[in-house]
Amino acid sequence: MKVIRKNKIVRSDPEANPNGTPMERTPEAELGSSVIPKERYTSKEFMQKEWDSIWSKVWLLGCREDQIPEPGDYICTNIGKESVLIVRQHNGGFKAFHNVCMHRGNRLADEGVGHANPFVCGYHGWKYGSDGTFVDIPDLETFPQGKPPCSGLSELPCDTWASFVWFSLNTEVEPLKEYLGELIGHFEPYHFERMAMTRWVTAEWNCNWKAAVDAFAESYHTAQTHPQLLWYLEDLDLQIDLYDRHSRYLVPFGLLSPRVDSVGEIPPPLKAMLRGAGIDPASYEGSMNDIRVAVQQYKRATQEEQGKDFSELHDEQLTDDYNYLVFPNVTTNTHSDDLMLFRHRPHPEDPNKMLFDIWMFELIPEGEEWPPLPEHDFRPAGSTRSLGMVIDQDASNLATVQQGMNSAGFNGLWLSDQELRLRHFHKTITEYVGE
Amino acid sequence: MDLGLKGKRVVIPASTKGILRRVVDQLVDEGCDVAICSRSEDTVARALRELSGGKGTAIGRACDVNNKEDYEAWLEEMAEQLGGVDIFVPGVSAGGGADSERNWWKSFEVDVLSTVRGCEVLIPHMKESGGGAITFITTTASVETFGGPQAYNAMKGSLLVYAKQLSQEVGRDGIRVNCVSPGPIYFEGGVWQMLKDTMAKWFAKVEKDHPSGRLGTPEEVSNCVLFISSPAASWVSGTNLIVDGGFTKRVQF
Repeated sequence: MKVIRKNKIVRSDPEANPNGTPMERTPEAELGSSVIPKERYTSKEFMQKEWDSIWSKVWLLGCREDQIPEPGDYICTNIGKESVLIVRQHNGGFKAFHNVCMHRGNRLADEGVGHANPFVCGYHGWKYGSDGTFVDIPDLETFPQGKPPCSGLSELPCDTWASFVWFSLNTEVEPLKEYLGELIGHFEPYHFERMAMTRWVTAEWNCNWKAAVDAFAESYHTAQTHPQLLWYLEDLDLQIDLYDRHSRYLVPFGLLSPRVDSVGEIPPPLKAMLRGAGIDPASYEGSMNDIRVAVQQYKRATQEEQGKDFSELHDEQLTDDYNYLVFPNVTTNTHSDDLMLFRHRPHPEDPNKMLFDIWMFELIPEGEEWPPLPEHDFRPAGSTRSLGMVIDQDASNLATVQQGMNSAGFNGLWLSDQELRLRHFHKTITEYVGE
Repeated sequence: MDLGLKGKRVVIPASTKGILRRVVDQLVDEGCDVAICSRSEDTVARALRELSGGKGTAIGRACDVNNKEDYEAWLEEMAEQLGGVDIFVPGVSAGGGADSERNWWKSFEVDVLSTVRGCEVLIPHMKESGGGAITFITTTASVETFGGPQAYNAMKGSLLVYAKQLSQEVGRDGIRVNCVSPGPIYFEGGVWQMLKDTMAKWFAKVEKDHPSGRLGTPEEVSNCVLFISSPAASWVSGTNLIVDGGFTKRVQF
């Protein structure tokens, strides 16, 4: 699709808000132009290497703090073949444990949220407190060796950041803050704790987890896969920032793509943006490409009466999508009024399958009542129920991408500069996996 | 068939893109002198460049049709530069939308009032020329329920009423007044290109509701505008010509 102009994109002055989300462009990176071998997406051997070097080593996203508000509330979340319990403590903090009874290895809970104080193993009734310690071992006197030498459940590192609880399967893992590195300070100005979780979906997809990450880390596919977004955002001139292991790009919303021209009427997605900000689209007299700044100014001017505090956000964050990859498997579409967070989990055994988690959050104006937490909505492979237009459009590519990657006629990914974050993602994977 | 358009002097506001632009192209090709405008000076300059060297001559300047003084001055200027006016094709529109009361004001001002103003300024010139033709570009959205109740459909509908009654008034001066009502028309840079991308399901339904399974082209509307505005249609006045490939389902007795 042809490019017909270069958009003039008004950037915010970072000096106006020095404690805001860092805006600096990272230095140019030399990542080469080699083919990314397809085996990274298709081979069981590589999948095992990823397990050994990444999944069992890094920090992983567990849940939102407010999904388990009361002492004894827990969430059980699986990663690969492992299953983890994250439990709210009496002091308000969190602990994470392997979801394994120390007796004969039974799982203590199924995936999902629950309340258990104590946890009771369904096999022989071993009981564990919310801090993981043994509460009761039935017929303990019949164990001549006594109880296991540990104090209870096998504990894992657990910490919080930006309203989320993170865990690691690696008891030697570096502190979370160190792992997040340059990202510290990026999310805080959004105050995710003021946003309510509104949607919690897990879909089984027939592709490798990295294929899904890829779909959220480049904008090159917008014109062909999401043509409606050409009437809403800049898809070409994006600031790409590559950090130590994480990355982001900044996608201006509220203007026409340089691939389309105004047709004289405000396109429905831009109308929705105006309406969402509180501006009557019929009263908007400016040009299509000035909608972005008009919305920023209006949201800034009316934030108080709308019960929203955007004081720590740059003007451009009031419209734009700051789009992150928190390595290895969390992608976010970060906005002033909502957060779309996706967790891309590997299948326990099959490199051709994955679990795609959708967590949606909405900013709740000051004084307004919060909606109840959403129920977990599971969509098995082959489900035809919509996940939302944009995600459906992405999903429609991924199964066939995976099939094609398994073809003898395909060697690997042939990437453009628009897909630089994918190259960086693979460079990071290489650093972990060692090849 | 000779339409008899050669040498006719035509005024078409807001005509650098889409259907109206196609009308301009065809009229110039028939040997007419045509006055055009658009809000942007660059756009007008580009259009005039593209139209230069044709059988007829195109003239024009930037003008905001929504601004009474600017628009009326442009109409007078063009009438003078053309040396009279034989044909007037008003078709400017604020477009669709059901956002607020503001849509109604805009549709009234842009679609209705600019058309009325244009007629009032140019009819004396047409009388002086001994007659002529006025052709409104209206819409099938006025004759059948379409896209939800909204100002665009109703205000364009009011132009059907105005055109008919105006035709009775100026017929004695040799001026014919008609409407051409296109159905959905697709072209690059048009509203339906945008709707194809942004409302794909609805677009597909609209496409399917056409007996031929496709939307119309600017050319297919323009052909009809040229005919009905030409001396070849001398006995056609006060009518509304539906140009929609059979999209509307009503019976027109």
